[in-house]
Amino acid sequence: MQDFELLEEGLTLMALGMGFVFVFLTVLVMTITLMSLLLRRFAPAPVESAASGAARSAPPAQQDEEVMAVIGVALHRYRQRHRR
Amino acid sequence: MEKLVTLWYGSGAYNLTLGQAVMIVVGMVLLYLAIAKKFEPLLLVPIGFGGILANIPEAGLAISALDQAIEVARPAVLQQMASALGAALDPLAGQEAWRATLKALVDNGASPDQLRAAKDVAMNVGYGDGLLYTFYQVAVASGIAPLIIFMGVGAMTDFGPLLANPRTLFLGAAAQFGIFATLFGAVGMSAMGWMDFSLEQSAAIGIIGGADGPTSIYVSSVLAPELLGAIAVAAYAYMALVPMIQPPIMKLLTTKREREITMTQLRPVSKLEKIVFPLALLMLVALFLPDAAPLLGMFCFGNLMRECGVVERLTDTAQNALINIVTIVLGLAVGSRLMAESFLALETLGIMALGMVAFAIGTAAGILMAKLMNVMSKMPINPLIGAAGVSAVPMAARVANKVGLESNPHNFLLMHAMGPNVAGVIGSAVAAGVMIKYLG
Repeated sequence: MQDFELLEEGLTLMALGMGFVFVFLTVLVMTITLMSLLLRRFAPAPVESAASGAARSAPPAQQDEEVMAVIGVALHRYRQRHRR
Repeated sequence: MEKLVTLWYGSGAYNLTLGQAVMIVVGMVLLYLAIAKKFEPLLLVPIGFGGILANIPEAGLAISALDQAIEVARPAVLQQMASALGAALDPLAGQEAWRATLKALVDNGASPDQLRAAKDVAMNVGYGDGLLYTFYQVAVASGIAPLIIFMGVGAMTDFGPLLANPRTLFLGAAAQFGIFATLFGAVGMSAMGWMDFSLEQSAAIGIIGGADGPTSIYVSSVLAPELLGAIAVAAYAYMALVPMIQPPIMKLLTTKREREITMTQLRPVSKLEKIVFPLALLMLVALFLPDAAPLLGMFCFGNLMRECGVVERLTDTAQNALINIVTIVLGLAVGSRLMAESFLALETLGIMALGMVAFAIGTAAGILMAKLMNVMSKMPINPLIGAAGVSAVPMAARVANKVGLESNPHNFLLMHAMGPNVAGVIGSAVAAGVMIKYLG
């Protein structure tokens, strides 16, 4: 009988916990989206648009993407090695 | 001759119990895994070494002054302690019986006042708290060490990929299913009579599925301190095994075509967004889940220091010197929980098995969620990055990247996988908060 109660409690906690995690992160997604929208509308980053404009004129986009990815991986590995 | 005999009675070889010998071997195995196999060496070296130290007979590095005195003190001291505890020792019974009686009294039955008096007796004759015991009390029992590590992790985390594609948070949420499924598994095992886990213990075991060392240690120090050693070892061991556990599940659940999906490049994220994000997260925690405030509060603090750009010295300390110091103390303290009496139990095997299941289910849930999102939205999502939803930063993201590259050598998923990866950290901290709220 007690076993059954324990199972039931476990199930409740599972449903409650999973539900809450989803609700919380959904709210977080909405908050982030809203925040990004507001910030980009009212405080657009001037440096960034200039930089991306300059970058766009230079090499072809596809190569650019690849280079970015390679740099990303390299940076990541470097950080990996030097932290923690 | 008599002196020699005394020396022999005081030696480790004479006092070594079978359990301690086994635990010393376990400690050596952990060291081997860390040094030769590079399994999370930063934690397993201190944990393994701490485990060996904790099992040195007679040294009492991992126990309090009181326990140490009970184990090794002279009969006169035992008498004094017995009177402090308000008990009488039967003069006919031998010393060993006296020690057992005192031990039982201290473990349950003595009032806090009596315990303090007995401890004073032990301290007066020169027994002190063991080094590892002190580390444990200061760093882990208080919850401080995992929280400081979390601050350091916050100071290392770049939320850019997450902010650029907030929907990946759902992947981090889905992967937390591993935590709750394991909790239910542990409860189920108890209900079947195989194991004997309480609901609190089950919750602490489940959190291994969060694949987040500090969170696991924090939750088990709050809910089930008696299982902390096994849980921490399982959590770190499986985090090291992520590159072996995850790929088969990932390949099983995705088709080659799905693995080849290229994702659209992430938009650049402004500095201001990155500064506002930890504050926004903190506000949500304050409004909805104050129980996650210790974990996520420190996490947000670390991240704010990193992104605001005006306290570089503090950021540097938080992500280097401080986290290293705390890692040493935390590792040794966790090692101190690898004492034979508590670790060599059937429960430990159960925890190891459940931990593995937790990882597998979390990975699968993340992938399935990504597939679901792919069906529902227009923006393509490579299901592999769902597997990064179990935190294990950044190992899980690297695994997703690697498996993706195997299918399509030009498809770099690393940055895309970092989104769900850090979302997993937030998700498991939220799950931890819910459990502490419900059970604490």
